[in-house]
Amino acid sequence: MPTFKLDGQEIPFEPGDTIIRAAWKKGVEIPHYCWHPGLSIAANCRMCLVEIKSARPMALPILAWDEKKKDYVETTKNKLQPACQMEVTEGMEVVSKGAAVEKAQASVQEFLLLNHPVDCPICDQAGECKLQDYWLAHQKKLKRKDTEPVHKPKAVRFGPTIVYDAERCIMCTRCIRFCDEVVGDHVLDMRERGNKNEICVSPGRELDHAYTLMTEHVCPVGALTSKDFRFKARVWFLRSAPGVCNGCATGCNTWVDYDPRYQRVYRLRPRDNEEVNKFWMCDAGMMTYKRFHEDRILTGRVRQEGRVVEVPRDVSIEAASKVLEKSQRLAVVFSAQHTNEDNFVLGKLGREHLGGTALYLAALSPESVPGGWKGDAILRHPDPNPNRAGATAVAGGELRSTADLAADIAAGKIDAILSLGWAAGESVEQLANLANVPHVNLSSNIGPLTQVATVVVPVATTAEASGTFVNAKGMAQQFQRAVNAPLGIKSAWETLIEIGKRVGREIAFAKLPEVRAAMPATTSAVAAAS
Amino acid sequence: MAYAIKKPGRTVADQSYVVEAVKGLGVTFKRFFQNTIGPAENRKTATIRYPEETREYPERFRGVHRLTHRVDGSPRCVACLCCSTACPAQCIYIEPAEYEADDPRHGYERYPRVFVIDELRCIFCGFCVEACPCDAIRMDTGTHVPASWKREHFIFDKETLMSIPGKDGTYVTANPRHEPGDPTHPGLDRDKAH
Repeated sequence: MPTFKLDGQEIPFEPGDTIIRAAWKKGVEIPHYCWHPGLSIAANCRMCLVEIKSARPMALPILAWDEKKKDYVETTKNKLQPACQMEVTEGMEVVSKGAAVEKAQASVQEFLLLNHPVDCPICDQAGECKLQDYWLAHQKKLKRKDTEPVHKPKAVRFGPTIVYDAERCIMCTRCIRFCDEVVGDHVLDMRERGNKNEICVSPGRELDHAYTLMTEHVCPVGALTSKDFRFKARVWFLRSAPGVCNGCATGCNTWVDYDPRYQRVYRLRPRDNEEVNKFWMCDAGMMTYKRFHEDRILTGRVRQEGRVVEVPRDVSIEAASKVLEKSQRLAVVFSAQHTNEDNFVLGKLGREHLGGTALYLAALSPESVPGGWKGDAILRHPDPNPNRAGATAVAGGELRSTADLAADIAAGKIDAILSLGWAAGESVEQLANLANVPHVNLSSNIGPLTQVATVVVPVATTAEASGTFVNAKGMAQQFQRAVNAPLGIKSAWETLIEIGKRVGREIAFAKLPEVRAAMPATTSAVAAAS
Repeated sequence: MAYAIKKPGRTVADQSYVVEAVKGLGVTFKRFFQNTIGPAENRKTATIRYPEETREYPERFRGVHRLTHRVDGSPRCVACLCCSTACPAQCIYIEPAEYEADDPRHGYERYPRVFVIDELRCIFCGFCVEACPCDAIRMDTGTHVPASWKREHFIFDKETLMSIPGKDGTYVTANPRHEPGDPTHPGLDRDKAH
């Protein structure tokens, strides 16, 4: 691979790479605002200016003060080049830390902050803002301008999810390019010139496509803020755990941002993965974090004489084991919303230990998702389940649907059910049949399956347990626990082992790696993600 | 170098103790009448009648915290959490929230829905005051936390903190700031329609 020199360091590149991209691939950051690895080049922020030593310098005539002559003399200086636009050539020598470059960076930084309100205390980007970071790294000087800054519109509603602050905007145009190039919807543009420059929405339109929250994530400053996250938390208190989106079968890689003090998830952010989601995520996917805390099942539930009674978790496990002990023709319902590990242990207990032969898969259908679900050509997969492929694989073949289960119960083929998860494509009315036989359900949230169950045992959500999902492409991706499950609740596979012990069936897994080792290889591969 | 000190000789008056004892009693009675029935400005006592009387604290005494008000009576605090981040004793708890839709500050600013300082935990270092970018939290009250017999009395909430005036008796600070939402803020008159 050909190489070039950046500040004395040999860096390999592929033909066609720009300086900044080659450096980024190697993990070296050249300061930038408008450049984004997933977007086209704008070269308008001028923060990434570098000095190219090897080529013939483009000399700019300048006047410089001469101490000896006590006068200005005519001389030249080397013109700096934007690293985001400059293509690398073999043997190129680039300086990104010299005196000329540092002066340019400080000047660009000062220019960007001339009219910036510096309202960091109320800005949601504080703590992850490039203006703050680069000010500290490349300027560290007070503003020299002492007149009132130019004021521009603040708190403009761009759409149902995004609020825009023109004063904070540095006109990097990342949001415009994201909408144009990734979404293919030219809803944002710029208007005016100079210090009146601002981003605007197309007349008669709102920023309301399926990827609006990404515009907030590509914004390097706090100009675009998400209504959902606005004023909720400060990012320096948040920790991030690598996660996988629960929204659909694409399995976008996420960062689960949670506050360790309150054990609460505040947002999902896209995690870079070239093979799955590149740098992006859809709005619906980012909002799936709400499921971690809303409609949770935190205690056991037992149906007594037609009424649902909340009981401690231990009591629900006891009740579950009583149902399972008596069953002769057990139906095992796998879940396309649960991890491979959970489904695998469910198969072990339900099939091998309790002799269940009727196997089904509970999965959301596009119609059953609140607000509906539609796939698209960008990221969204038509299947709104993150792990249909994985659940099918660990069960060892195609599974029948929960509608078939209802039919089988009507035909009298089933005398008990062991089901996983809350999600089902059918409504409670369509599944009413499932309530006719004793039904044990392990679930984290309230859903159609929990409502027709005789015994519900609470389990952890995907933010509260580590696990593996297999996406539509067949890639097994692992994710890690972010927060602790409340009130002694455990993950579904651990709960299943507890229930197994109660009915006298020992399943010999103590730790997650042991479960993974026993699973089929295609469902436990380590994800390429960090 | 050590040297000898000559002891003064004893007189008969000294030897009898009577004169010196009477002199001593004289001082005692003088102080007694001076401090009880004499004019107040002549009194020389080491003690004061607390809590009716209090001593002046030094100029630089910090005192208990207060939350300053805006002109419209709302807290100046924008719930940026800089104070609770800087606090080494971790005694400040804040929950930010957005102003209601009919408030002129809606969309621009945040405010503390909950602002609590645990004064028992506080070490009065003043880091919170240093960290505050809005001059919202100050330690210029000149008073200390009143004594109490219940732990709950030391948990100061937003209303308590806003009810304590500064040394000058006011609830605001002499530190003007044009904030979005204020009529003085020049950005407000711009056309916001898109």
